[in-house]
Amino acid sequence: MATLNYSRIRRTGRWVDVRRRKLGMWAYALNRITGIGLVVYLYLHLGVLSMLAHGQSSWDSFTALARSPFYLALDVILLAIILIHGLNGIRVALTGFDIGVRVQKRLFVILMLIAAAALVVAAAKIFAV
Amino acid sequence: MNMLEVPLEIFRYKEGEPPHHDTFTVQVPETAHVIDAIDAVWAMHDRSLVFRRACHHSSCGSCSLRVNGVEMLPCITRVKDVWDGRAPLRLDPLRNFPVVSDLVVDLSSFFQRMSAAEMTITCDAESSLPLSVDDFAVSKIPSRAVELPVNLSRFNRFENCIECAICMSACPTMATDEKFFGPAALAAIFRARQKTDSPADVAHLLSLADGEHGVWRCHSAFECTAACPQAVDPAGKIMALRRELITRRFKKR
Amino acid sequence: MDNPFAKEPKATTAWLWQVFTGIGLVILLGMHFIANHFIARGGLRDFADVVAYLRNPIVLVLELLFLLFVTTHALLGVRAILLDLGFSGRAEKRLSRLLTGVGVLTVGYGVWLTWIIIH
Repeated sequence: MATLNYSRIRRTGRWVDVRRRKLGMWAYALNRITGIGLVVYLYLHLGVLSMLAHGQSSWDSFTALARSPFYLALDVILLAIILIHGLNGIRVALTGFDIGVRVQKRLFVILMLIAAAALVVAAAKIFAV
Repeated sequence: MNMLEVPLEIFRYKEGEPPHHDTFTVQVPETAHVIDAIDAVWAMHDRSLVFRRACHHSSCGSCSLRVNGVEMLPCITRVKDVWDGRAPLRLDPLRNFPVVSDLVVDLSSFFQRMSAAEMTITCDAESSLPLSVDDFAVSKIPSRAVELPVNLSRFNRFENCIECAICMSACPTMATDEKFFGPAALAAIFRARQKTDSPADVAHLLSLADGEHGVWRCHSAFECTAACPQAVDPAGKIMALRRELITRRFKKR
Repeated sequence: MDNPFAKEPKATTAWLWQVFTGIGLVILLGMHFIANHFIARGGLRDFADVVAYLRNPIVLVLELLFLLFVTTHALLGVRAILLDLGFSGRAEKRLSRLLTGVGVLTVGYGVWLTWIIIH
């Protein structure tokens, strides 16, 4: 009997399509995407820091670039990613220990609102400097 | 009785042919369920349509499929609740299982998982008929002088789960990890664990749940609990199993 | 017939470490962020500032701890995503060893870089 099986490649990316799925699935996809983004950023950041090993002029030319508005905007996006991943991560930790499972949807909404509020405050500070 | 003209876009797969969707339009009463529309397609339009159905009241778990991409039981889902009145209703088989034909998937790996959790249904009460009069108590409420079984656990053999595999289709981990136990089987392990206090049985059940393809492969999407038509709450059971596993790990130290 | 689901080896405590480092990061990352971008003048430390900052022994310990926690958490996360693809027992062990190696190299690089900056 020849059944129809979809390839592993096609199945691997399925979690990205969160249309018509519920809030828990959105939280999972968001955490996964922000997590991947942060791993990439970690190694980028460590790479950038190597400029410190090349002395003052190398580092100072980087900090000059890092103060540009474009860079600051990227920093705000980074902060958003950190806040989403971190706060949702707390929810994943709690529910994973069987705490707050019944209210996981509400918990997600509340934590994302906190993230949004913190982001607004931080963005204001970043651009005021 | 008002009738609806419902267009359906149904997934079709026959061996040796590429999969595709066929469109049918059927007339059903406005109170009809989605399974009635599928029945109508089979009865009036295409006898080669392959699908599962039996009880029509969410007891057997046979008819599970996806309507517009979302897992549900078509026997308890009214057409009016899922159809916007214009675009065709898209029907697809469950995900994460091989498709045998059209809307039917091969659930043998699902039942292998369930049997590994050893959720066999024991009905020793039914095999010990006839019951004596002492097994029953008469209700004190005069209008309700119904005989009630005294020892309910001898008769209570039904769990919520109807083994419809909807949770397995909704779960994102099931998509890529073929060894993942899955929400239904993990919930079954929890249920089986609740029923026993024998240390050997508990150890065996918990070690099944503790595997790298057990509870730790769950990523808290909670889609299984959201999709389950019988309020089994598989995600909650998985988290409860995790709590027990963690507690035991620290107690051993 | 053998039931492939009937026998499963016990899992590691990877998830517990993931949670532990995650909670730790809420604190350590918070401190790192505040110290480097909100206390520092202009939100960024210039070269002399960085050197002075890292020469503080408490700061040094906390920053290296932060590096250890973030690398562990990140690579455990990568492992979790990859394990979803359904590795066999042996392949899973190989993956874990590979990622441990990447982690050791990452932390090693960070320690070496810090050493160079301080001296």
